[in-house]
Amino acid sequence: MRLTFNGSPREHDPGPGDTAADVIRTAFGATGTKVSCGAGVCGACTILVDGEARVSCLLPAARLDGTEVTTVEGVGGDHPVQRAFVECDALQCGFCTPGFVTEAVAFHDRWRKDHEGTPFREEVADALTGHLCRCGAYENILTAVQEACAGTFDDREPVPARVEAPAKVTGAAEYTVDVTLPGMLHGVIVRSRLPHARVMVTFPDAPGGSASAPPPGKPSGVAGFVRLLHGDVVRYTGQPIAAVAAETPALARELAKTVTVDYVELPSVVDPEEARRDGAPVIFEDAAAQKSAPSSAEGAGFPARWRGNVRSGYASAWRGRTARRRLDAAEERNAPGYFAATFTTSGQSHTALEPHASVADWRPDGLTLYTSTQALPHLKAAAAKRWNPPKVEVVAHHVGGGFGAKLGLGTDAVAAVELSRKLGRPVRVAMSRAEELTDTGYRPGTRSELRMLGTPTGGLAAITLDVSGHGGVSTGSMVATLGLLMYGFGPRHVRDRDVIANAPPASPFRGPGGPPFAWAVEQGVDAIAHKLGADPLKLRRTWDGNRRRRALYEIAGDLPLWRDRPTAPQTGRYRRGVGAAAANWIYTADLDTKVELTVRDGRIVARTATQDIGTGVRTVIRNTIREVFPDADIVVELGHSDAPHGPVAGGSRSTASVGPAARDAAGKLAAHLGGKPVAEAEGTTVVGERPKDRRGSAVPVSMDHLRIGRGLAGAVHITEVEVDTLLGHTRVTRVWGGVAVGAIYNRAAALNQCEGGIVQGIGYALYEERLTDPRTGVVLSANLEDYRLPGVKDTPEMTIHFHEDGWDHVPGGGIGLGEVCTVSVAASVGNAVFNATGFRPLDLPIRPDRLLEGMPR
Amino acid sequence: MTEYLAGGTDLMERRLSGRSTGPIVDLYDRGLRSIETTGDGGFRIGAMVTVDTLATDPALTAAYPALALTAGALATPQIRRAATVGGVLLQRTRCRYYRNEHYECLKTGGEGCPARGNPGERAVVLDLGPCVAPHPSSVAMALLTYDAVAEIENRPSTPVAALYGDGARDHLLDPSDLLTAVTLPPPVEGERAGYKRAIGRASAEWPLAEAVAHLTVRDGVVTRAGVAVGGVAAVPLRLPEVEAALTGEAPSEELFARAARLDWTPAFPETAYKIGLTATLIGDVLAQAL
Repeated sequence: MRLTFNGSPREHDPGPGDTAADVIRTAFGATGTKVSCGAGVCGACTILVDGEARVSCLLPAARLDGTEVTTVEGVGGDHPVQRAFVECDALQCGFCTPGFVTEAVAFHDRWRKDHEGTPFREEVADALTGHLCRCGAYENILTAVQEACAGTFDDREPVPARVEAPAKVTGAAEYTVDVTLPGMLHGVIVRSRLPHARVMVTFPDAPGGSASAPPPGKPSGVAGFVRLLHGDVVRYTGQPIAAVAAETPALARELAKTVTVDYVELPSVVDPEEARRDGAPVIFEDAAAQKSAPSSAEGAGFPARWRGNVRSGYASAWRGRTARRRLDAAEERNAPGYFAATFTTSGQSHTALEPHASVADWRPDGLTLYTSTQALPHLKAAAAKRWNPPKVEVVAHHVGGGFGAKLGLGTDAVAAVELSRKLGRPVRVAMSRAEELTDTGYRPGTRSELRMLGTPTGGLAAITLDVSGHGGVSTGSMVATLGLLMYGFGPRHVRDRDVIANAPPASPFRGPGGPPFAWAVEQGVDAIAHKLGADPLKLRRTWDGNRRRRALYEIAGDLPLWRDRPTAPQTGRYRRGVGAAAANWIYTADLDTKVELTVRDGRIVARTATQDIGTGVRTVIRNTIREVFPDADIVVELGHSDAPHGPVAGGSRSTASVGPAARDAAGKLAAHLGGKPVAEAEGTTVVGERPKDRRGSAVPVSMDHLRIGRGLAGAVHITEVEVDTLLGHTRVTRVWGGVAVGAIYNRAAALNQCEGGIVQGIGYALYEERLTDPRTGVVLSANLEDYRLPGVKDTPEMTIHFHEDGWDHVPGGGIGLGEVCTVSVAASVGNAVFNATGFRPLDLPIRPDRLLEGMPR
Repeated sequence: MTEYLAGGTDLMERRLSGRSTGPIVDLYDRGLRSIETTGDGGFRIGAMVTVDTLATDPALTAAYPALALTAGALATPQIRRAATVGGVLLQRTRCRYYRNEHYECLKTGGEGCPARGNPGERAVVLDLGPCVAPHPSSVAMALLTYDAVAEIENRPSTPVAALYGDGARDHLLDPSDLLTAVTLPPPVEGERAGYKRAIGRASAEWPLAEAVAHLTVRDGVVTRAGVAVGGVAAVPLRLPEVEAALTGEAPSEELFARAARLDWTPAFPETAYKIGLTATLIGDVLAQAL
């Protein structure tokens, strides 16, 4: 076929099954166009064909014949839409950005042909409905497209809101899935087809995992196998058994079919409600097997007792017997402040739009691992320990989202490294969307038994909370234990359990345990306020000793959104409701963080071994240095493990780690310069360290570089919904988010994160549901059609308020907010739905059928 | 099994997921893109005309507003620009078991229905058996209300309604049959229409249930009504009894509520909610169409 590709004539002979996306990314090497869902749902692969936006993952390549194709690279870089995206901060991780940009360019060019002024938001949103942004940057995307159409950027260069924005809007930003090395092979994973079985794996030609066989039909090519499964028992459908590499992905898939897996089926149980029963098949049969269970917790798990498939943690209690006695008495006399209910939540899949992917290059002098990770320094140490190569480099220049799922050495990395080591060639392993949604972790589902007794003025009199986490074969759910940190020191008894089942393992997810905790407890507070006839915010202020959150309650209580909330029962079809919920989160930092500054070519180059998963950490570093050197040209180089130690992007620790270290480095450089211009210090290198907090930390030692500091981050969300009581449809219309994390380093990115946290919380509340077939253990929500992410039109009007006091003991005066800003969102939606309908939703997500079944008639 | 490739929005996804593996005949160069008026004043719409064209072509939107509203509300702008009339009529089920390579069922050439034991809230209300997934074609539903006819190469034309009819297959054509066009009878002056789908999110989602209606009102009386629903059965479902209840009556909210009453028996407890949901949708689209 012949076509015009980004302005130049091009010829190519596509294969019969090739998609346009394949040809553009592989044959044309234009990797700005991303493939994410592979089903035409997410729009990341959008290109312009004769000026019309099309999803290239479903477009047969042959259809490009005779057309003029423009990808994000071909848009240039100075298009008003790109400029607007750069200045309006219309992105976070940037993986969806090329698709949004090309679609928005088509809309912009079309719209301005016969319009003047600014398009309505609704009109822009309609044009963008075929695009998903998992970071939830929709608000700024809409604003950017409106500004571009209004002509704001016709004649001027944008001021980038974040350092890497120009690279992300032009397709220049390289993600792991874009890395291609000379001679690179492609790996695929062979997975279990049964939920529980003893397996025998045979590779063709040579059994036992040592084979290196030629791929079928390509005798000259290199190919091979490695075994991934430890032992001979698979415990969930989709569990990795082996990995196969060959010259092309198609050859690797063919070769994978030649791996023989003989199964001896074992009794299995997928549904946690069945798994907890006496007599259910036991999944981890002895202590050794139990010890091999993966954990979904960040850091070390807590000790626990096993009984069958139930792993019970030790209860945490203050005056636990008093708590129970008070609750029993309150139940007996039907006390108005008493509330008891069982809440459930579905598993939530992270669904970063860039899948887990690794390219491993094992050479005699060492290993280079390109990988989509949020834990670059940790992976370097883990790879060195596991394989002990002469040296290890880990590279992650840009990371297309993480949300907690990319904290460890995943199957992709292990398979790529082992295959590369064995075959002597670089190997890429990237998860398909189905693999991503099946076996790269998720927030565990939960079942929470809550009992609470509150008093109008005396605080929380008693609470018990017993939570079972449903994380498949993984342990480490921690939800109830968060009850130690909320609402004073009244009598309480909390306990976490894991119910093990033959389903894929869970993993940490943005504020692990927080959203399901809030879903139960914050609805409990709301229910008690309702029963007592109290204002839910005032009641929280009475109970809550946290002074930062108390400040937020004051502000929220004065909002018209809150003051004008409906107070009487409603009867119409459409009902409005307003709900409040609060959250806290521990403050952590990596006190070992170092930021190195070098004067190179007259510019200040900042380096640290961390990665930007879309949070804007590059910009935090740049802004901090700029405060000391306002006129300097500052370059921030992240994503390489050779740099001095930097933080893992987990536990909301990045900002409070790199910010103070960058400030220390800038101070040292300024001292070195002694007033001379930067250019006169060419070649100078200083290393800034992260100063300790004043008056120490909450825990005086670091665990794997993580230090728990003093104080809790706070947040309050006030959410308005409109419920169509006949269609069971809930629309979130307005959200106010108050966040108390001290000084804000990068206001634009902080707002963007808080808005994204709201959007993700809405997804958790209303749409996202991980579904596993109860018989076969197959994950049914394995595509973006059946796993429903919030879209641009689900984005409410949002107002974010930062309470910046109260963190003077932390150098820089502020901490991270990535987790606390999402924890209470779903609970606030639940409370708003109750306010609108009188129906207390106990189960997440609040699906239309559940609302219709549950609402009082 | 050879399959025709039209817009690719269904087939390409099934190629990628391994559900379609046979040879492909690409219809790209076969034309089939014209929209013509027929001798009696109706329209003939080529099978390769896109869904976006159904939704935006001035002549079609004026002639068949119920079809245009339905077409404009499905999927996403990009999918509408790619998907074709022929393709959406003959698309395969969206059942999450069918779309998952781990399963075989009667629609993949195997046996039985793995979804029957775990139907979930998206399954059918009316069980025609053996498949429990609702038919996916919104456009087919709208075409039913117009008595549209499908032209098949080398075969007599057949009403669109007759493309469907059992719960075992997504359509009744043979794999080698080629649907080339759809013809619609002459438009009716003054017809008005409504379309609505019930979904969880605001847009871009397969419906839990959907409804379409067109009404022609003369001298204060409904002279012609077309009503169909989707998301409730393994076929797109026209509701002649609802149409009959409307025809000859003076339109009013009470009439619509009465006409929209559905005496269905739910096949599964999980989908019982869809009965009231569908009745609401019918009332809503009739109100839109007034």
